[in-house]
Amino acid sequence: MTRSGRLAGAGPVVRRRLLVAVPVLAATSIGMFALGAASPVDPAKQYAGAAAFTASEENLAQLRANWGVDDPLPVQYLRWISNLVQGDLGWSTSRHEPVASVLAARAGWTLLLIGVTLALVLVASLLLGALAAYRRGGVFDRGLRTAAYAVESMPVFWLGLAAIAVFALALGWLPAGGLTDVTATSTSWSDVAHHLILPVGVLAVSQAPWFVLFVRDAVAESLRDDHVLAARARGLPGRTVLFGHALRTALLPFLTLVGTHLPELVGGAVLVETVFSLPGLGAVTVAAALGSDFPLLAAITLVTTAVVLAANLATDLAYAAADPRVRLDG
Amino acid sequence: MADLAARPSPLRIARSRLRLLPGQAGVVTAGLVLVVAVVGSLLAPFVWPLDQSAVALDQTRLAPSWAHLAGTDDLGRDVAHRAVYGLRVSLLVGAVAALVATVLGGVIGGIAGTLGGRVDRILMRIVDTIAAMPHLLLGIFIVAMLRPSLGAVIASVGLTHWLSTARIVRSELLSLRTRPFIDAAIGGGAGRLRVLRRHLLPHVLPRLALATTLMIPHAVWHETALSFLGLGLPPHLASLGNMINDGQGSLLTGAWWASLAPGVVIVVVTLAIAVLAARWRDRLDPRVRAELHL
Amino acid sequence: MTTTESVPAEASPRAAASQPLLTVDGLGVEFRLRDARVRAVSDLSLTVRSGELLAIVGESGCGKSVLAHALLGLLPGNATTTGHAVLDHPGADPVDLVTCGQRHLARRVRGRLVGLVPQSPATALNPVRTGRRLLAETLWAHGRDRADVDHLAVDVGLDPADLDRYPHELSGGMAQRLVTALALAPDPSLLIADEPTTGLDRPLVDHTLDLLRRRCDNGAAVVLITHDLAAARRVADTVAVMYASRIVEHRDTDGLFTTPTHPYASALLDALPDRAFRPVPGDPPMLTALPMGCAFAPRCPRRTDTCTDRPLPTPVTGGGTVACHHPIPIGATT
Repeated sequence: MTRSGRLAGAGPVVRRRLLVAVPVLAATSIGMFALGAASPVDPAKQYAGAAAFTASEENLAQLRANWGVDDPLPVQYLRWISNLVQGDLGWSTSRHEPVASVLAARAGWTLLLIGVTLALVLVASLLLGALAAYRRGGVFDRGLRTAAYAVESMPVFWLGLAAIAVFALALGWLPAGGLTDVTATSTSWSDVAHHLILPVGVLAVSQAPWFVLFVRDAVAESLRDDHVLAARARGLPGRTVLFGHALRTALLPFLTLVGTHLPELVGGAVLVETVFSLPGLGAVTVAAALGSDFPLLAAITLVTTAVVLAANLATDLAYAAADPRVRLDG
Repeated sequence: MADLAARPSPLRIARSRLRLLPGQAGVVTAGLVLVVAVVGSLLAPFVWPLDQSAVALDQTRLAPSWAHLAGTDDLGRDVAHRAVYGLRVSLLVGAVAALVATVLGGVIGGIAGTLGGRVDRILMRIVDTIAAMPHLLLGIFIVAMLRPSLGAVIASVGLTHWLSTARIVRSELLSLRTRPFIDAAIGGGAGRLRVLRRHLLPHVLPRLALATTLMIPHAVWHETALSFLGLGLPPHLASLGNMINDGQGSLLTGAWWASLAPGVVIVVVTLAIAVLAARWRDRLDPRVRAELHL
Repeated sequence: MTTTESVPAEASPRAAASQPLLTVDGLGVEFRLRDARVRAVSDLSLTVRSGELLAIVGESGCGKSVLAHALLGLLPGNATTTGHAVLDHPGADPVDLVTCGQRHLARRVRGRLVGLVPQSPATALNPVRTGRRLLAETLWAHGRDRADVDHLAVDVGLDPADLDRYPHELSGGMAQRLVTALALAPDPSLLIADEPTTGLDRPLVDHTLDLLRRRCDNGAAVVLITHDLAAARRVADTVAVMYASRIVEHRDTDGLFTTPTHPYASALLDALPDRAFRPVPGDPPMLTALPMGCAFAPRCPRRTDTCTDRPLPTPVTGGGTVACHHPIPIGATT
């Protein structure tokens, strides 16, 4: 059976997963909407901000009528969800612009931060984890694991502050925040890259322990597998045994777990963006939360969830492509 | 042919039991740290009372010294003193939130595990979906809708952290249902509730307690993260997240110590809980041995 | 198949004049567990010559497979190996497999000098690689022509078309032949075959045994680890009977099968279907709690008080050794 043949059943699987995802996302959106409706915050007053104290009751009532917040809840929900499905994500009350344009302007930076970090973490954890497993119990293994457990208990925002204190303030090597130099008039990629070193590094270091420990344990386990012992018994070179056999089979479960770990990564990105004042979704999320901006918060949460679900599906398909024992059409 | 008695070969026995004991020293240290942390935060109001809103503007940003072990912050408040109270709040929020999450997860996992079938499938599908939502975003959403407060933070942590508990309880119950002694009890005429109380709970409770303990560090991180973002506890309140948030400003003026002590407290205490919980898990389930050597 | 000229205290009459290829001397393997120590191999000595087929027989759990892994340095980290196992290959310096270290074993010994047909082929194959890729990789690692893949398959009785299947698509017998082909690929001077006939039907068992026999006739050495006594009788030059981590009797094949001297060897033969078909009475001991003296004594009809002392291997009339205080005299009826 060829590799492409193994993905032959992908179409129906994708369709089935989507069919399941739709009611589930709908249920989630109802839950979020219910929570929003239970909120003691009056969206009209929130929107008017300081002006609410001076605004007349008629003006506020006019605002409420415009948004239909006095309609029965099911009506409000249906209006919201049908707009959502049609691509109208609503109006952000904290930023006074359409939610869609907030996402369009900001999501790219967050995706860049997460994407670069994920790539870095994956490469580093596969390499470090495999090497630690190969010489398990050795100095490198013990050191790496101790470091991993220590870092795992550090809040990422604290790690970020420590990195700023050391690399930006004490050593002066890297900028402490922002995406571009204050004096810069345009966005140059090298400037952005320079500014992203610390945030990406901090997010990567804070996420790495879980990945490194998982790879290390999986490869250590896999190195004791009969088929890896057999590969050694055949006199294959150490590198071939480690990367071609032990890591290769240990990678399979890792693949699906990467997908399930993505939500963690998103949360970490929000915090890192706040610490380093990056113009991604993190800062607007916090501002939206302070302003009880339901449309923006709900859209960000639902969109991220949909992206994570899609990523999970992609990793499952990748698993099927990588493991001949798994058949999608079976 | 002479097919001789099949026994596990010594090679296989040896492999299955290869992993060795975690270091005793780490466990003892972790235990001591935790005892000090809990006793300290319980006794703090009696031996070292703190006026949460007091400031000393003549003592701002003092570097660590004997008088101020961890220095003072932008408002001249003693960082070490406030860190003790921050730990007190964090442990309280962490423990209560973990408990809330455990009860929620226990109930939902219990329903899925005892009823099985379609109910189980639907509930687990919901669990999977919520697992795909970033905890922090969902937590922020909950806090934003309920307005930042102690209760909102606890709700935020509790509502986002029950998934693993639900999964554990469900799979325990499902695996127990297939064991012969449960069948025997039901066959012997024992009622459903009685089977639950006499046979299932004793099996599930230790795991549930362990899950709660393992959750406390996560709850603490979650709480401090919300506070750090300004979405957690009221800003004047000494909480570890608030202190690190305040310290962010001090950092730029050179007072790096303002956020050092609260961070160290978080790391040390959550690490201690993790070490002890890992050891506990080893005892509960020797097959799934965590390799913690500290 | 075996000759009967006697060489005292030497189990291999066939090539007695030549230098031994492998000389194992006082080999011991011990596993440290959390709450116990397991002695899987104790004070084991034997020699294997080029062209010799040695069968090691015994019940499951007696330490046969551990011996194979010890010779290849594949034991897990909690195992301690003591003693010596010197491989003296013509045209190369003698190398002690116990002390030479992982690096040397990996680069020079495994595959090429000492090959292994692992037990349980189903788990010994990488689940995400086809047989063809595994074979090609092994040939490549030993600097041989990858085009030999089909030849190797035919040698072990495998249809080359089946090489394109993944391990989970192979039957037990096909997997067994594939692992045999993998071990043969580097053409090892000494091949250790650990239960290589498991899961094969009768014709394929014969085919595999003949294959091993042919290797010996062409000058290589083979150690056949098996609990199939009939297989041992069919192809082996010499047979070593292992019981509870020790070799209790080591004789030429004819000698052992006609006049076993150790009570355990005799009991094993009695368990054969074409003989008394009577299982060995009692249970084998746990390797964690071996008795001080003879480990077989609790099950032995010939035991006396002296059996609490450990019997040492002593020569048998007609060649070979036995470790027993009260061996069955040759010529006596059992």
